[in-house]
Amino acid sequence: MKNIIEINNLNKSFGSVKAVRDLSFRVKEGELFAFLGINGAGKSTTINIICGQLKFDSGSVFIDGHDIKKNVDEIKGKIGVVFQNSVLDNALTVYDNLQSRGALYGIYGKAFQNRVAELAKLLDFEDLLKRTLGKLSGGQRRRVDIARALLHKPKILILDEPTTGLDPQTRKILWNVISNLRKEENMTVFLTTHYMEEAADADYVVIIDSGKISAEGTPLELKNDYTGDFITIYGAEESDIKKLGNNYEKIRDAYRVSVENTEKATELILQYPNIFRDYEIIKGKMDDVFLSVTGKNLSGGEER
Amino acid sequence: MNIFSVLIKRNVKLFFKDKGMFFTSLITPAILLVLYATFLGSVYKDSFISSLPEGFNIGDDIINSYVGCQLASSILAVSCVSVAFCSNLLMVQDKANGRIKDFTISPVKPSVMAIGYYIATLISTLIICLAATGICLAYVASIGWYMSISDVLFLVLDVFLLVMFGTALSSIINFFLSSQGQMSAVGTIISSGYGFICGAYMPISQFSEGLQKIIMFLPGTYGTSLVRNHAMGGVFEEMSDKGFPNEVVESIKDSVDCNLYFFDKYVSIDAMYVILGGSVIFLVAVYVIMNMLKGKSFKK
Repeated sequence: MKNIIEINNLNKSFGSVKAVRDLSFRVKEGELFAFLGINGAGKSTTINIICGQLKFDSGSVFIDGHDIKKNVDEIKGKIGVVFQNSVLDNALTVYDNLQSRGALYGIYGKAFQNRVAELAKLLDFEDLLKRTLGKLSGGQRRRVDIARALLHKPKILILDEPTTGLDPQTRKILWNVISNLRKEENMTVFLTTHYMEEAADADYVVIIDSGKISAEGTPLELKNDYTGDFITIYGAEESDIKKLGNNYEKIRDAYRVSVENTEKATELILQYPNIFRDYEIIKGKMDDVFLSVTGKNLSGGEER
Repeated sequence: MNIFSVLIKRNVKLFFKDKGMFFTSLITPAILLVLYATFLGSVYKDSFISSLPEGFNIGDDIINSYVGCQLASSILAVSCVSVAFCSNLLMVQDKANGRIKDFTISPVKPSVMAIGYYIATLISTLIICLAATGICLAYVASIGWYMSISDVLFLVLDVFLLVMFGTALSSIINFFLSSQGQMSAVGTIISSGYGFICGAYMPISQFSEGLQKIIMFLPGTYGTSLVRNHAMGGVFEEMSDKGFPNEVVESIKDSVDCNLYFFDKYVSIDAMYVILGGSVIFLVAVYVIMNMLKGKSFKK
């Protein structure tokens, strides 16, 4: 797989504030790439630079092989963005909104009508085309936002916290659509999110803090490197759990024991087979990774 | 259909969907006319009568028409520019609410966006100002009509040119604005100040000599004079027909800025058109170039 986004030693300051510091990473074509960080970590600055909205101080940015400093217009045609907050016109109908945005990419007439019909079917908003955007629910508007980003069949879809504030059902619908598009059109998805379970499905994750990379890798690598495993043991006495010599917590009908990794868990099980009669081993979550890397929690739209 | 027509359609639709913005722009000239006629009509009338040489008798029809045409021309001259500033808020609103990002992430050129905003504002402003022209003409007809068909057609041309001028001027000023507060401040300044500096609220001849010279450098002054000439031309002809000496008529024309002098040199009607038209071309070019330069600065 070729690199569709290549960022090398990127630096960007706003006055004395260094928003991005020596940032380097690669995004491979067709992958789901998660870009995580608390508010103010430098995510939006990086996205604005990738979209050609912001100049940078030093470094280089290549999108699909094009240098952003030389071919920004060509790059803009390859990127679709779903912004954190909808930037469509509330007073216009869904159709009018999409028509005005399609024209920006040279999509008119029959070609536009065909593309809108295709997207409306895919995102299930055929019955909303004549409705005023401002009167739609949050989930309905989000579907239209995604359709707008996909109008010109971009190679890269940037999703800036796309599911914040949406109900679980709508989130599921959106992720199904995005997942299908990735498979069918080999589209790269660049995701920022506060929902760690969404990041857990990514092919590659970069966590930034204060403008620089704190950790990167596949979700499995990150979990292995930054969190341990947990063994949930059912039907055991607390005195037995204490014998294991590890940290534990009592949950409703079991004990949750922390272990360094799966290998250590196996050693414990072999050493104390009588205690491990009914148990399950689970890896740490992306929330734990994020907490371990940044010292901050990032869950469900709020940093804590 | 092309990018221009789609952008213009979007911008015009948004303007007319915003009922508050549309109706405020539409009723402002009508309210101004009522206020002018109520509070300034008698002042203009007394001033005109007192300026006449002794021994001249003149009918009420002519006096009323003179006053009405002066009021109507003042309102139209101001409205063409102030309404343009009201109508041209979308480009600032798009920046203030972040919608502009949806356009700047696309490959569309900033100059194309700029022209889209300009033409949309021009259309919206023209619709309102032509409606205001209709109201003003109806008012004039109700108190004393001396305008010819050509006067009316030239008046419409003057309104068209002044709207183009006001739209270009507002586009350049709004280019630097990015918030609702700034928009309101500029709107207030233009609404209250433009009428004075273009000679609509007070005849330029009543200003100090230094100020008069400065005002003569402003293109809006010539726009006001064009509107006034074509609105009041019929009344002046009627005065001549009634036996007013040419010197008296010219003196009255001087007093209401129908005759303008640039450093004591008389400015003809044709020259006024050249100045106003040239200003429109210059301002539109400056506006487009500003947007092109802004687009280039992103690429550096």
